[in-house]
Amino acid sequence: MTGALLQITTRQWRQHRLRVTLTIMGVALGVAVFFAIQTTNITLVDSLHSMIEKLAGKATIQIVAGDAGFSEEYLKTVRATPGVDLSEPVTETTATAVSLGNEKLLVLGLDTSSELKIYSDMYTDGGLVVKNPLVFASRADSIAVSRKFAARFGLKDGDKLILETQTGTQNLTIRGFFDSAGASDVFGGNLAVMDIYAAQDAFGKGKRIDRIDVMNAGGVTVDELQRRLTEQLPSGIKAVRPDLRGQSLENSISSMHLALTIMSFLAFIICAFLIFNSFSISLNQRSKEIGILRSLGVTRGNIMRMFLAEAVVVGLIGSAAGVAGGYFLAKGALAVVMDVTTTVYGFTSSPRVIEFNYTFAAEAFLAGVVVSMIAAWLPANAAARLDPVAALHNIETQKRESIAGKPRLMAGIALILLGLVLTRLSTIGVDGNIQLVNGLFILFGMILVLPKLIQIGAKLIRPVMNLVFGAEGLIAVETLVRAPRRTSSTVGALMIGLAFVLSNGALIYSQKAAINRSLDKALGADILVTSSEQLQSRTYHFTDETAKRITSLPEIETSSNLRVTTVDYGGDEVTILAHDMNAYFKMSPDLLDSGDPETARAVTSKGEGVLISNNLGLRFHLGVGDRIKIESPGGTLDLPIVGMLDYFRSEKGTIFLDRSLYQKYWNDTDVDYVFINLKPGVDRAAFKQKVQAAINNDRNAYIYTHDEYKQWATRLIDQLFSLMYLQMVVAIFVAALGLMNTMVISVDERKRELGIFRAIGGFKRQVVKMVLLEAVVISLIGLAAGTIAGLLNAYFLVTTAARVVAGFTLRFYFPVSIVFIAIPIVIVIAIFSAWLPAMRAARLNVVEAIGYE
Amino acid sequence: MSLETDQIVRFERVSKTYGERNEMAALDAVDLVICRGTRVAVMGPSGSGKSTLLNLVCGLDTPTSGAVIFDGINLAERSDDDRTRLRREKIGMIFQTFNLLPTLTGVENVALPLRLKGMRTGEAEKKARSMLKRVGIIGQSGNRPDEMSGGERQRVAIARALVFEPPVLLADEPTGNLDSHTGDEILGLMDDLHNEYNTTILLVTHNEAAAAHCQRRLTLLDGRIVADVGE
Repeated sequence: MTGALLQITTRQWRQHRLRVTLTIMGVALGVAVFFAIQTTNITLVDSLHSMIEKLAGKATIQIVAGDAGFSEEYLKTVRATPGVDLSEPVTETTATAVSLGNEKLLVLGLDTSSELKIYSDMYTDGGLVVKNPLVFASRADSIAVSRKFAARFGLKDGDKLILETQTGTQNLTIRGFFDSAGASDVFGGNLAVMDIYAAQDAFGKGKRIDRIDVMNAGGVTVDELQRRLTEQLPSGIKAVRPDLRGQSLENSISSMHLALTIMSFLAFIICAFLIFNSFSISLNQRSKEIGILRSLGVTRGNIMRMFLAEAVVVGLIGSAAGVAGGYFLAKGALAVVMDVTTTVYGFTSSPRVIEFNYTFAAEAFLAGVVVSMIAAWLPANAAARLDPVAALHNIETQKRESIAGKPRLMAGIALILLGLVLTRLSTIGVDGNIQLVNGLFILFGMILVLPKLIQIGAKLIRPVMNLVFGAEGLIAVETLVRAPRRTSSTVGALMIGLAFVLSNGALIYSQKAAINRSLDKALGADILVTSSEQLQSRTYHFTDETAKRITSLPEIETSSNLRVTTVDYGGDEVTILAHDMNAYFKMSPDLLDSGDPETARAVTSKGEGVLISNNLGLRFHLGVGDRIKIESPGGTLDLPIVGMLDYFRSEKGTIFLDRSLYQKYWNDTDVDYVFINLKPGVDRAAFKQKVQAAINNDRNAYIYTHDEYKQWATRLIDQLFSLMYLQMVVAIFVAALGLMNTMVISVDERKRELGIFRAIGGFKRQVVKMVLLEAVVISLIGLAAGTIAGLLNAYFLVTTAARVVAGFTLRFYFPVSIVFIAIPIVIVIAIFSAWLPAMRAARLNVVEAIGYE
Repeated sequence: MSLETDQIVRFERVSKTYGERNEMAALDAVDLVICRGTRVAVMGPSGSGKSTLLNLVCGLDTPTSGAVIFDGINLAERSDDDRTRLRREKIGMIFQTFNLLPTLTGVENVALPLRLKGMRTGEAEKKARSMLKRVGIIGQSGNRPDEMSGGERQRVAIARALVFEPPVLLADEPTGNLDSHTGDEILGLMDDLHNEYNTTILLVTHNEAAAAHCQRRLTLLDGRIVADVGE
């Protein structure tokens, strides 16, 4: 019997090639997105980890203190700690090689007078190959570059290398090369080494170093040494394992990971709808065949297995294609993700080649097959339960499907209400995954009430379609009402896709509005000079000297220097904004949401208190009047919180303190931003040129007016949300694929109807119009359902998700304008998706179609 | 009335073959003239070419050779749109399996040909209701086909075929799916409508009793007319 059923199935496939192809494409797309995202995620994380680990060489412990670094004095403390076998101080700077087309180069400052044994794995041939070690160490302009880099640019011993650094342009001389082995793929091989003292000088680090790489002596465990070092060092300087340092970086991009993961699951959910849809229709198409088989003695179990086997085959083919496609998709996605990581989080990691991960491939493959089977389960079950007598009847005698029953409706409403109530009552302490369940409750509730929504939507739209499009419009509406299963699954896929677009739109809109509000309050400056075009640069800053040259310009009325860095707080990387608080308050008098501005100004400018962002307060249950302990390289700061404000720079939280306090505790005079208020009547454009001249046309200074900075911030937000935009495109694409599949199926299913329509005088163009109208109506109902689901999901995202992920309290805005903009877009997508099926319908052989069974 | 204008359908050595090498002949050099207002029964065993003849008359199919002239128009020379327009305006069709659109109610099914011609919904449905009343099932006008009996469905099909008062009605086994009592009723109804509208009726049937309602009886065998009684 299996052979016979297999033969029947393969014949069906041959007969409905387009439907099967589209279904397989749906599975392939879901698997591809899943696989690509998982691969991108792991590649990005690997990239961050490997950069740290490879640069760490054989170091088992690294001494670090955020990107501000710490005093080299602590090297003595480390070396004096029992159990330390080797220890090497390191500075790490990204510089622009202006003589080589502005190529970025990672310059490590190492103690070249030592044997650098820790890095013996990192550099082959026993370390650096330097023609004259004495000259290399004694001349401050010496630099060694990787052979890979040298080969790429044809650099020889003695060649000049001009680097743009934060102290200005540096003319360096290449006096050494190294074959980077382990570190060869770090920064794409754009790696250079200078003597640490020369590097400190060249890059304006003073007596600060970025880290100390430590190797434990035999007989002392890493854990033991870590404990000893922690005891010896101030609390702001951490002794960490290199692999755990990577973990910390991974944590700081956790929300991006979450967004990517949601996207991959979403693709699967829509893909499941597509498969469900396809199999539901297959069931309708084959109902007569099933009736015949049942009358010939085929059991319900056989029918069920026949459908599920079909799903497995679809899953296998689709998953295989998806894994292959996902590998290539990952390459594109990685570029976007790397961009966001660099711009928003300030991590410049070397672009890595996407590696084919067999575990993920197997997971994605299996997930594709399982999702196919789950999605096909209900139609398979329905096929098995089909009444053979009814199945053998003609189209007119087949009873209309009814899936808009009361119990289903009530269950749906109950789930939606439950999701909303849980969302409303959830606190930030509730785990993010549990919060996701609230969102899923709402979504599944919507799926259950969908048939009723379709009924209502069709009822409302029927007279309009009748009036505007005549009989074709009427038939289009009635066709979709008559097949609620098919319509529901298509509208469901569209609903999820559009709900996702609209709710993300709401989140982006709400977030942008909040950021704009925050910028208006916190950014009172007329002009901003920044050291990076990214939100945060971890390797390039202005020196105090550069900042002074700017702030001493006579056109300036008030100025405030700002240093941006990070600190470990409660296991998270929290942002520190070290402002000249007095001047800052003068420029931004409406800064605070809570706390007395005058007291806050007075206390913070004396370094006796701090301001914190509302999200930090929410995440760590802190409020005005509470005290906060901040671990710095100079010891623990224990200060009162004197004010709070909405600030969205960091999803982990922001602490504002006075720059003098920061300089004292971090021993760091660098500046990242200069906020400037101009005297009345000063021309901004002319002033910008003056600033540029004052800093010797430093290539890494970006000068913005207030409005330009806001525009830049908006562009940055768009870049941050570029992944979401990508998700939206994927969601719409998969939904469009579903719609196309539905229309192919609808035409196949209605061959006889269409034949009758043609026989009684319907033109081909009227058939085309009818099919296109059906797609348009389905899409419009999908948009309406998507708007409702989007509204509910947006409530979840803005109210709960934003708070849980980042502690951001956002005001809820629903982008009604997007709904209106979506109407023509959805109609175009509908027409585009239905065009091919409509043409097939028009080409139908009427005589065959009337006799069609 | 001249002989030419009296003819509504004329077949001139019409052949219709199927298959890649035209190896299956459904009609073989058929000559036929049908005059206005006549009732013609087309009989013959399965595969004799009855349905092909009907499909050629209404322009759903085109002959492999020869010419089908409908009301003076050579159908093969006309476009698909022209032939569709001809069906819409001059030919009503009734099928054995009723072929109502399952998505539409009785009145909507009957009004459909009028609406395809561009008539306003209200006016079309008013005419449709009047036709449903004429065929005796006004009570079913709001129901969909799956809520009707076979006889009711065929009445709706007849109403749909005649609502635009076509000069020709093609009926393919209209009683084939009905019990004998309902079948008689339907044939009686067709007689009445013929008398009322003077419609030319081409009735394909296996049923002798149904054929007895017609003035002329054609018998087809292997694609040829082997008997033409009552011409």
